[in-house]
Amino acid sequence: MKTIVDASKKGISLDLKELIRYKDLFLILAYRDFRVRYAQTYLGFIWAFLQPLATLTIFTLVFGKAAKIDTGDIPYPVFAVVGMSAWTYFSFVMSQAGSSIIGAQGMIKKIYFPRLVIPLGKAFVGLIDYAIVFSILVGIMIYFQYPISSNIIFLPVFFLANIMSALAFGIWFSTLTIRYRDFKHIIPFTVQFGLYLTPIAYPADLLVERIPEWAAVIYYLNPVAGIVEGFRFSILGTPFTNWYALISFGIMLIIFVTGLFYFKKMERVMADIV
Amino acid sequence: MSDIAVRVEGLGKKYLIGKQRHATIGERFRSIWAKSDHVDESEFWALKDVSFEIKKGEAVGIIGKNGAGKSTLLKVLSKITHPTTGRFEMEGRVSSLLEVGTGFHPELTGRENIFLNGTILGMSRSEIKSKFDEIVAFSGVEKFIDTPVKHYSSGMYVRLAFSVAAHLEPEILIIDEVLAVGDAEFQKKCLGKMDEVAKQGRTVIFVSHNIGAVRNLCSEGLLIEEGELSLKANVDNIISKYQNNFKIDRNQRVDFSSRIGKGDIRVNQIEIFDKKNKLTGKVYVGSDLEIKLGISIEEKVTYKSRVIVGIYDHIGVSCARFDSDVSGDSIDIVRDCSLKCQTQPIYLSPGNYSINIALYGNGVMQDYISNVVSLEVKNDDFFETGKFFEDNMTRIWLRNQWSIEDEVQG
Repeated sequence: MKTIVDASKKGISLDLKELIRYKDLFLILAYRDFRVRYAQTYLGFIWAFLQPLATLTIFTLVFGKAAKIDTGDIPYPVFAVVGMSAWTYFSFVMSQAGSSIIGAQGMIKKIYFPRLVIPLGKAFVGLIDYAIVFSILVGIMIYFQYPISSNIIFLPVFFLANIMSALAFGIWFSTLTIRYRDFKHIIPFTVQFGLYLTPIAYPADLLVERIPEWAAVIYYLNPVAGIVEGFRFSILGTPFTNWYALISFGIMLIIFVTGLFYFKKMERVMADIV
Repeated sequence: MSDIAVRVEGLGKKYLIGKQRHATIGERFRSIWAKSDHVDESEFWALKDVSFEIKKGEAVGIIGKNGAGKSTLLKVLSKITHPTTGRFEMEGRVSSLLEVGTGFHPELTGRENIFLNGTILGMSRSEIKSKFDEIVAFSGVEKFIDTPVKHYSSGMYVRLAFSVAAHLEPEILIIDEVLAVGDAEFQKKCLGKMDEVAKQGRTVIFVSHNIGAVRNLCSEGLLIEEGELSLKANVDNIISKYQNNFKIDRNQRVDFSSRIGKGDIRVNQIEIFDKKNKLTGKVYVGSDLEIKLGISIEEKVTYKSRVIVGIYDHIGVSCARFDSDVSGDSIDIVRDCSLKCQTQPIYLSPGNYSINIALYGNGVMQDYISNVVSLEVKNDDFFETGKFFEDNMTRIWLRNQWSIEDEVQG
């Protein structure tokens, strides 16, 4: 094994081979996050179920019962839980990855490893949350006897888009937070507003019909909007009409890749400025 | 590169000091507004054009004063931070230990932390698994291996952390002296393990202030001064050069740069001399010292003062202290004045010492200056036999007489 470090080499490579060599570190950091999350709580892992269930109950009461939002043939809880499954993963991974580098500064200053392991690892931890919401989703669909659409084969595509968009935001935030601590405050803000700006609790049409066209375009460019609609298309068989989503997926891909390179560029000085 | 383990060429690391660049977005925008990108900014080269080679199996000690760039060199070689100039190559598996227990999480059990820390240090899961029993046995915390480490005593915590590190099997080991913290027993174990590693033919790069540890562990030395490599040579040469520098650098120079304290009253002058020989900064073993301090005062109020002068040897061990509070001298400072301290003969062994001063006024630390001036203790046939002890052989010289007290019968 040979290590070469050269300051005059300005090129940035993602060095995926090295990342793969550190796969054990991904897994153990994900394990640590998972273990520590509910450590010393009385209910322990039950919390992981309670949180999405509580949100879903509130949504059903407020939007389903009180506001009587029209979700067509789909029972409201089924409609909402599908949107929530995409959003829960997105918001968790984005905010966890976003604050991950600041959170790991003790390690960063003392030892080398590819720093990308830290935010990327959060995408693994988020899978557990995703599995939990998904099991709730299955339970609710069985309860309402709502059949799964044959479009389900498209779900992996939207799921990948979900992971990518969460990491795209998360990696950018994690790097920017090192320089500008302002982003520590922007992250929770994004999560809070995103929940309402994304068609999770209501169908997108309901809003889009009432706003000018340019606003609708902006609304649809929210990548999670496209992902949520994609989830409903795949699981519930609702029509997928939001073609702007495809543009936003393209933009996301660009943000994701630039995020990776910006991160690699900053990696060199991370220990100095974190 | 067959027998070379580490090759460093023109390595440099620049830091920007002063105001941190755009800590908030607001500042970033303001700086765009003002069309200037750097405000209050100056460069600092922590490392400058450092080049050297280390052969396979060599144990090299890096020596230098605080702030000379030792830690920066270690961080660059450990890939924690990227160099600004130059390049380096290393042949073989590298492990760097700048602290023990990196990544330890208090909520996790000892077992889980072994896997976590081991992975962070670069071991694979299967490697940790195969060494797991050995690591646990070495740490001596078998009974608590499934207890969260937050319930560990600090000693247990450090032992567990160190045993993980001790079971790394790198070809090149980069190690910081901060490892040698903890109790004396742990230090011994730590140094012993490093010695073992060095003797196994691995390449070791070791940073330390502890001259003794460097001498024991290392065959070669690097002396770093103000970010530059001043010498690479046999470890004994390096150590004597380092100690000589200590002499020249501190000799006769009064240096108030490292001062802290409130500053209402301050020491602005210091003179230490041998009362008999009237030499400043040089005294003979067994002579009386006289210390004179010039004191300046901001406001003309009475300060009930306490003054302490400490003498430290070249490795920072306190050898003597003259404390007005302990000696029971009450000192009221009301105006600019000079203080005098008269001591009994001092019997410190010849060598170079540095002086720290602390001045308290009305219970508040007003002035504290470390390494303000140096003191050279000389030997002028102290034992009156023409014989004497070598440097650093013993700390105190006392005249003595040996005789036969009583002849034991038969």
